[in-house]
Amino acid sequence: MLDALPTAFLFFLAALILPILPRGPLRSLLVLIVPVVAGLAVYALPMGNLVQAEFFGFTLDLMRVDPLSRVFALLFCIAAFLGGLFAWHLRDTVQQVAMLLYVGAAIGAVFAGDLVTLFFYWEGTAISSVFLIWARRSEASYFSGMRYLTIQIGSGVMLLAGIILHYSATGSIAFDAMTLDSPASWLIFIAFGIKAAFILLNNWMIDAYPSATVTGTVILSAFTTKLAIYALARGFAGTELLIYIGAATAVYPLIWAQLENDLRRVVAYALNLQQGFMFVGIGIGTELALNGAIAHAFVGVLYGMLLFMTLGAVMYRTGTSRATDLGGIYKTMPLTALFCLVGAASISAFPLFAGFVSKSLIISAAAKGSHYVVWGCLLLASAGGFLVCGLKVPFFAFFSKDGSLRPREAPGHMLLVMGLTAVLCVLAGTNPTALYALLPYDVSYQPYSTGHIITQLQLLLFSALAFALLLPTRLYPRPNPTVNLDFDWVYRRLLLGAIGLLAIPVRGFFRALDRFKAGPLKALIRTLYNTYGPMARTSQFWPTGAMVLWIAILLGVTLLVSYAS
Amino acid sequence: MATETVVHTALTLTDQLPALQIVVPFVAAPLIVLLGGRRWAWPIAFAASLASLVIAALLLASVLDGSIISYHMGGWAPPVGIEYRVDAANAFVLLLVSAISTVVLPYARTSIAREVSERHHALFYTAYLLCFSGLMGVAITGDAFNVFVFLEISSLSTYVLIAQGAERDRRALTASYDYLIMGTIGATFFVIGIGFLYMATGTLNLADLADRIADKGDSRTIRAAFAFIVVGIGLKVAMYPVHRWLPNAYTYAPSAITAFLAATATKVAVYVLLRFVFSVFQPAFIFEVHTLEFIILPFALVAMFACSFVAVFQSDFKMMLAFSSVAQIGYILLGISFLNETGVTAAVIHLFNHGITKAALFMAVGAYVYSAGGSFYDTMQGLGRRMPLTSAAVVIAGLSLIGVPGTAGFISKWVLVQGALEKGWWPVAILIVGSSLLAVIYIWRVIEVLYLQPTPEDSRVREVPMSMLVPIWIMTLACIWFGLNTDMTMSAAQAAARGLLAGSAGMMGQ
Amino acid sequence: MDNRTPDNADTYPALGRAFLWLDRPGGAKAVRYTLFILCALLIVADFVFYKKGYLPIEEFPIFYALFGFFSCAALLICSVVMRVILERPRDYYAPTDGALEPSPQEQAAKVDHHA
Repeated sequence: MLDALPTAFLFFLAALILPILPRGPLRSLLVLIVPVVAGLAVYALPMGNLVQAEFFGFTLDLMRVDPLSRVFALLFCIAAFLGGLFAWHLRDTVQQVAMLLYVGAAIGAVFAGDLVTLFFYWEGTAISSVFLIWARRSEASYFSGMRYLTIQIGSGVMLLAGIILHYSATGSIAFDAMTLDSPASWLIFIAFGIKAAFILLNNWMIDAYPSATVTGTVILSAFTTKLAIYALARGFAGTELLIYIGAATAVYPLIWAQLENDLRRVVAYALNLQQGFMFVGIGIGTELALNGAIAHAFVGVLYGMLLFMTLGAVMYRTGTSRATDLGGIYKTMPLTALFCLVGAASISAFPLFAGFVSKSLIISAAAKGSHYVVWGCLLLASAGGFLVCGLKVPFFAFFSKDGSLRPREAPGHMLLVMGLTAVLCVLAGTNPTALYALLPYDVSYQPYSTGHIITQLQLLLFSALAFALLLPTRLYPRPNPTVNLDFDWVYRRLLLGAIGLLAIPVRGFFRALDRFKAGPLKALIRTLYNTYGPMARTSQFWPTGAMVLWIAILLGVTLLVSYAS
Repeated sequence: MATETVVHTALTLTDQLPALQIVVPFVAAPLIVLLGGRRWAWPIAFAASLASLVIAALLLASVLDGSIISYHMGGWAPPVGIEYRVDAANAFVLLLVSAISTVVLPYARTSIAREVSERHHALFYTAYLLCFSGLMGVAITGDAFNVFVFLEISSLSTYVLIAQGAERDRRALTASYDYLIMGTIGATFFVIGIGFLYMATGTLNLADLADRIADKGDSRTIRAAFAFIVVGIGLKVAMYPVHRWLPNAYTYAPSAITAFLAATATKVAVYVLLRFVFSVFQPAFIFEVHTLEFIILPFALVAMFACSFVAVFQSDFKMMLAFSSVAQIGYILLGISFLNETGVTAAVIHLFNHGITKAALFMAVGAYVYSAGGSFYDTMQGLGRRMPLTSAAVVIAGLSLIGVPGTAGFISKWVLVQGALEKGWWPVAILIVGSSLLAVIYIWRVIEVLYLQPTPEDSRVREVPMSMLVPIWIMTLACIWFGLNTDMTMSAAQAAARGLLAGSAGMMGQ
Repeated sequence: MDNRTPDNADTYPALGRAFLWLDRPGGAKAVRYTLFILCALLIVADFVFYKKGYLPIEEFPIFYALFGFFSCAALLICSVVMRVILERPRDYYAPTDGALEPSPQEQAAKVDHHA
């Protein structure tokens, strides 16, 4: 039955229905049920181009179902369910509607078989998700949302430009594998890269995620970047450039993550770093590597959400996620702390946890391809990532010094969903064959060998050793309540300054205009007012005689002109 | 009379349409008085108006291809008998007048109920129907003296209708009196002009007049006739500087009447002007070219600016719109003075577009009078929040008045600018755009009052009832519809312009 | 949500009390020594078990341990140095920047975090 209806429309429909429902649990239930229905529908979908529509002479493929799009759609349904459960307490119509539209757009984009459809959903994700940031309703979140929207729309505009060039060159709007050999594919590549958070195009992610609401961050982390991963895997698998971009993206955030005080920003940096792994996987482009990238995206959604959920719960209870304000709250929020540790272990790729089985696929693929430097970068990113997310986040959030904070344990539905996500993380880690079965390619890979476990544990525990040894010394960068310059300085400061320079002549012009307004213009308006204002002759009642006089004059003149000519 | 015109043998009801067009409202008017009931006054008026609308639509449909219907009153063939002639130009006017009337009437029922005391209602609707049939008659008739008669019928009833506003503001009486004096002088000039024409040609049938003037050519009598007719009709048109009756008449008349008159009365007068200037007199006459170029054109330009400036400084929404009307009439006269097809097309199309725009705006004014008790800016403060639908209509119709793309007002100004450029008069084109900027200012003032000023705390103003909102929004949506879909208005206006500019040839049909 | 209930360990959840030894003197030391022991065991294990690698450098004894330790130490020290260049006061970008939202200790008025 649901074959005829694009899955995305289920979510849009729900977004339409939601405001009609009475405020309260019924709405939350709707947000929860739709992903389940959609997930079941996606699971049952046959392969092929199921739904087509005509649009200005283009044939749009709204439902291209193949193993690659299906795994991402399933992932998004799961993520929507988890996010919906986490937001159970939410009574904010804007956020709930935005959430449904956002998820719908993301799933629609995944199933888009042509570039035009992709573009519409691509912009749809940008516009709907910004409301999750603005829903925080603070000035900072407003500006942050604006920056986010600008960058996301910018990505959409580049995509559109790329599509137009692509269409005019090839006459096709099909969304298939491309090579970087024309301006069109470059534009599309960069558009994807912005959403995927390539190195130096990544700051929106760090900026926007922590600015969203408690629930908004959880939702945001799951879709936009992973959608871009899908798009890259579809369009640019095997593009060598991606390997180097990936390596750089994986290493670049390490230092900033170390210095950052806001733990939600730290997690955002860490997730950005994981994106780098996926780029490498896509760039290598072998079936093993692609499977690795997709698996990593899959578990990345799980542990990314888990980490943001635990920090979200902390924020929900304490109102802050800053390392300098937290500490010692494991005593009263032990379950949340435990789930945070599971998430930390998963992102750090501890054996038995989710990240292990996916990350090893990519690193192995890099090693097999003898990409020495890349392999080193990924190893460094693994160790550094552990240092940041595996140690710093749980340590400063829950342990560290004992503050005066004694928040209550997270609410029941949050504990439930965190527990569920944690179980999924462990399941994926202990039962990799089930995860691999979802992947588009048939690859036999065995992550659990003694040697691999030992080397991974060495890497992680010796990183921990470095942490433990340096922590008491001044060589450890303890968090400070400060801002650290990142690449976004270029557009938040440098570009602004440049615009400021440009403003000087403009200001001069307006100064002159002001002087003109104060002087001649004012006099002119006064004259006009005296001539035409309510007190003036032109707008007063005229005596009937005056009117008749004018008639006489007009007649005289007209006669004169008629006769004279 | 040209023989190639199909002689009209009236056999079926369809063939009687031109007569029915006038007879229906004309008979309905005394019917109201005879029945005497206030209860029946409005339904009869509305039914008559609706019937006229249907007839007008049928007539326009049958002449849109450029053909002409000639109807002989009582079977007497012209030039002896009275002839009703329907071509694209006046079918267009007939449709406009009857459509506006049909939309305004439901609105009037609610609005008039509050503004005019009930014992006057029966006579009020009688006067309304008389005014309506007078206007329709002016448009449809093909006989010069008949034009004068219908003009007087509509004018006399208009004076009565305007005076009805006296219950709200006694100044309506002065306004009505002034209009009476001016209108009478105008009508007198007009009839003097017709007298001169009769003297020179010996006929009163318009087509026949045109033929004979074309044959005879220029003479002093004809020149005098032209001057008298232009000034006489110019008065009715509210041409600057003999426009002064209009702002007061519009401001103090009951709201529904203002809406109706603003959209129709001056427009019909413009039609008469077009008919005489282009069809009866040869556009090729040098005195005519000079009159248009040295009198109509400069005064049109002055009107566009002077009256817009007055509108900018007004503090009464209704008065502001009234002055804006004079300025807008300036655009129409400007289009006429171009003496080319594009200019006349612009005049005709602006006649229509400005009609619907002003109808919407004046009806909105009536809504504020109905709910807030006045149309002064200080009584309208912050009403954008209290009367969202009315105020939204004001914004949209206001944009059309300015001439923002996507609205009807844009189309006519666009064609007008094109006409100016076609003539090579680019300074005039710039002036057209410049005076549109003044419209931006006076419309912005209204929007500011409605939306940017705080609503008074104790305000109990509510949105007006549906019977007023629906007509307002029909006109407002028409502003957008005719701004986006220009096929109908453009083709009709072009056909009309082509017919008019062909001079006497245009009166004979193709 | 009251952040300042009187600090009575009995009011903590059971799971929270179970971890309280971490706060006791010597708790942190215990964790650290456990870590040392685990690291030592891993070094031993490196020589005992066979490990398969794709790259020659992986054959180097305890390569992963060394890499982990030194890269992390370098990273941390590098961060300390970089901070000198990168650090700015927290109202650097805007007076209302996200980093400036009041901390729970600072805020007197309650803001709605439930949104």
